[in-house]
Formats: sequence, structure tokens, C-alpha cells
Amino acid sequence: MFFLNTDLLPAEVRNNLTADTLNVTFVSNADIIQHPPIYLIAPFIMLLIAIATGPLFYKHHWEKHYGKYSIMFAVVVAAYYIFFLNEFSGLHKTITEYISFIALLSSLFVTSSGILINVDRKSTPIVNTVFLLIGAILANFIGTTGASVLLIRPFIKLNKDRIAPYHIIFFIFIVSNVGGALTPLGDPPLFLGFLSGVPFFWVVQHMWYMWILALILILIPFYFFDLFNKKTSNKQQYTGKIEIKGHKNLIYLLIIVLAVFIDPAVFPWVPDLSPLPFGIREIIMFAVVYFAYKTSDQKILKANEFNFEPIKEVAFLFVGIFITMLPALELVAIEAKALGDKLNVDVFYWATGVLSAVLDNTPTYMNFLSAAMGKYYLDVAIKAHVQHFVSVDIIYLEAISISAVLFGAMTYIGNGPNFMVKSISERAGITLPSFFAYIFKYSLLILLPVYTIIWLLFFYGKG
Amino acid sequence: MLKTISDTLENKLNGLYYGNRMLLPFSCCILKIVIEDDILMDFSPSSKSIFLNETDAYTEIYFKDFKNLKDTISKYEAVKIIAVEKNKDIFQMENHIKLALRVEENHKLIIEKTDEDILFLE
Repeated sequence: MFFLNTDLLPAEVRNNLTADTLNVTFVSNADIIQHPPIYLIAPFIMLLIAIATGPLFYKHHWEKHYGKYSIMFAVVVAAYYIFFLNEFSGLHKTITEYISFIALLSSLFVTSSGILINVDRKSTPIVNTVFLLIGAILANFIGTTGASVLLIRPFIKLNKDRIAPYHIIFFIFIVSNVGGALTPLGDPPLFLGFLSGVPFFWVVQHMWYMWILALILILIPFYFFDLFNKKTSNKQQYTGKIEIKGHKNLIYLLIIVLAVFIDPAVFPWVPDLSPLPFGIREIIMFAVVYFAYKTSDQKILKANEFNFEPIKEVAFLFVGIFITMLPALELVAIEAKALGDKLNVDVFYWATGVLSAVLDNTPTYMNFLSAAMGKYYLDVAIKAHVQHFVSVDIIYLEAISISAVLFGAMTYIGNGPNFMVKSISERAGITLPSFFAYIFKYSLLILLPVYTIIWLLFFYGKG
Repeated sequence: MLKTISDTLENKLNGLYYGNRMLLPFSCCILKIVIEDDILMDFSPSSKSIFLNETDAYTEIYFKDFKNLKDTISKYEAVKIIAVEKNKDIFQMENHIKLALRVEENHKLIIEKTDEDILFLE
């Protein structure tokens, strides 16, 4: 006897089937797994609110206790799944994804911190624009986090006699966010999509033209901002040299990039360590963290004012986010099926974008990917379903992927590196705009028109 | 005896720290302090973040937002200050000295001029 989940079938197919003719037993989702109650998304919402408001309104309390809050919310949800729903598979998958995610981010962060770049050139609008463009390209190889950590200091040094807040804001726009839209290495939501089954090169194949347009439209105002900055450098002579210290860490970076592909799904010879919640890839990445830290030049770490705190913060907050978002993901998938055709591509683009701007873009991406797949009766938790979805209709995934990445730049809290860049800049003595000034003076004026153009050109009325 | 910043740097003198209190072995006028990502410029008595006490023999700083500097500042980090010698013209930018203060074991505070690699803008 076979079991057929009728919830996975379109209504017209479902209505024409009879159990006897197929010799199957019909079951619905409700028969297979117990869905979490709606109130179980409360810990997720509370955690996101705390993440958004903590650093702004109760900074020092938050700095001391964020880990406890995150773990507390995660434990509540995990306990419900284990003791009330007797459901372990979802939690296991979530923990596996979390370990992959944190392995990549931590290895990029520690390795980048052991590299010091000095650019001895005169700061001009064209030099700065090219610098940001290079940062955008680099973000696709070492992630927006890696590129931000690596390049923010040389960018500030390059502009030290004429630095202004807009330099940092545009750096956040381009290097910390928009730049990383081309590969799963670029931005955490895309990496999570890759882990869930989106092919590695799907992103670059389907988003390169939006990436180029977004970059051009953001770099043009930056060029003019910089052109009108009349401050000049006191330094008279420049060697034009670009000096890179910490070469061995470049090798570590290469190892991390190559390790991303060490997956049994990509190469069958790679041992599958399941049911362990990690694989060879993660072991390599964590080994890189250890060796990069132990062998990095102490002077470079001092110059970069290295501290484990930023990655510790990401590790603690994301363990909470990953686990608490589990019921939200399941419920969104169910709701999407119920709402059906009411969710069009415009909704996916703007809803993913707006939520990515104020929440973290990684869970937002997963929620809306889950919703889009729900329209096709597919489950985001099943890799084969994701791979099938990519071949069914790409417009939704395009909308979700590009808006999750782009809109992360709208606020300081939209993407992890935003806060990191802000923190490094403030440690360097630069006073940056407040949370709301950033939005009203910069992102709404510069980014929103760009994102509207992208929507009109590529998504409006297309699904 | 009045000690200057220059004396301190030349003779590689150390300061001290106890909990959230820092003692610099010179008298100076402080213009800006950066600790972690906090940029402190309000040194008025009503400041909730900092308290400064300048004497002829030393300058003491209380960081009210932190309990213990040792727990706050990693071995690769520094508290950075912009200070001016007591007897120098505060309005001349070339008199503004950028210092990095590093906390070490046994309450020792290493004082050094920020080098080229360390990012610290006025």
C-alpha cells in the first residue's frame, strides 16, 4: 500500500482521483505531520523585534544579554517540537543548515581579519567608484561579510582626509549588500537557498542583468556625491601602490571558496556524514577558522582591531533565528497554498524586500521561498522539491532572490555586514547617521527609486 | 610633578586601569574618546557615559557603561583618544595627538601613539 499526500496535488488532479483506482491511501498534510500552532511564531517575532530595537534603544543591556534572549527563544520552540509535536526531522535539518551557515560566515570573517590592504592613491570620485565596483565583484567570491571586513578599512584610509558619512553609506549599499547578488557565496539568503537545493550558478545566470543595473544606478549618485565633496588630501605624493599584507590568508580564502562545493550532492565521492548535522565542508571551514586565527600576523589583527564579538553575535542570534523561524516557515507554506494565485510576483518582490529591510534577509528569503513553492504544492524542506521548483517557474525565485539581497541595504539591520561596517567605521571615529536618518536621508532617496525601476522593468505584471 | 604626553611616549610610561577606571600618567585636555563603537565627545558632568577628572599629576577616566575594561577590550583592540597637552594651543590641529590605550594584565595600561595602520580619524 502506498500513501499519497493529496495536498501536494493541484485541485483539478486531486478531484479526479480515487483511492481505489490507484491502490493508494489518501492522506493530507495534517495526517502526516502536526503543524505548529500560530502562536509558536511569537518567539520568532519577539526575537526579531529585540534584534531591531536592542542596539538602538537599550544598547548596553542588549550587548550583555542578546545571547541569552536568543537561546531562550530557540529553546522554547525546540522544546515544543520535541515534546509536544514529537517532530525531530525539521529541527535536525535546521541545525544542519545553521552549522553550514555559521561555518561559512565565521571562516570568511576570521580569514579576512588577517588581511590588511593599503591603497596609496589619491582619493578621487573615479578611484572611489572603481573601488566600490571592485568590492561589489569581490563580494560574490568571499561574501558581503568577507568583502566588507576586508575593504572597509582601506576604503576609509583612502578617504581619510575627505571622509564623510556618505562614503560609508554607499559602501554599505554596494559592497555589503547589492554586490553580493550574483552567487550563493555573496549573501547569506542565497547561500541558504543553495543549501536548500537552488543550483549554484542559477543566481548568476538569472540575476546578472539586474545586478549590473542596480550597481550602475547606485554608483552614479555616489560619483556625484563624491564630485561635490571639495575636501582634499593633505598628502602631496602618492606611490600608487596597493599593498596587501597577510598573503597566507588569501590561500585560506581560496580554500573556503573551494570547500563550498565539497558536498555529496555535487561530488558523489564526498562522504556523507549524516545523521551528523555537518559534513566535510563544514569541518574544513571550521579548521580554516582555527588555523587562520592561530597563524594570522598579530600586527595585522591589531591593525584590524580583531575581536570575536561580531561573529559571536551572529552565531548566537542566528541560532535563535534559525530555530524560531521553523514554525513560521511551515505556516507560510500552508498559507501560500491557501492564498494560491492571490500572491503574484509583485507581492513577492515587495513583501520580501520590505521585510528584508527591517528584519534579517535570510529568514525572509526562506519564508517567501517557502510561500512561492507552496503555490506549486512543493515543500522548501525537501531538496528535490526546490530543484523541481527552479525548473517550473523562475520569476518568483528571481523576485525573492534579488529583493532579499537588494533591500538588505535599506536599514542598518537589514543585513549582518551593515552593522559590522557601521561598527568598524565608528571605531575609527566616524560619526554616522542614526537609524532613522540612514533611512530617510539615504536609503529612501537613493535605493527606493532604483529598486522601483528594477521592479518595473523585470517583474511588474509578469506573474 | 606635571608630566606631559610627550614625556610619557618618549619614556614609554604606562598608565593604570582598575575596573572601569583608567589613569593616564599625564595631564591633558581630552577632545574625543572611542571605546568599542562608542564615540564619546560629551565630557560634561551630566554625561551618562563618561566622567573625566584632570589633575596636574594624572588624568582619570571612568567609563560608566562598562564594569570592567578587561572584559570589554580584546588583546587586539584599543581605546583611542584625541588629546592635547595642557600647555599647548587646543585650537591648532597639529597639537591634537591620537593615542591608543591597550589594557594588559596586572592593571597595566599601555599608551602608544596610533600608528599608520590603526584607523582613527578626528
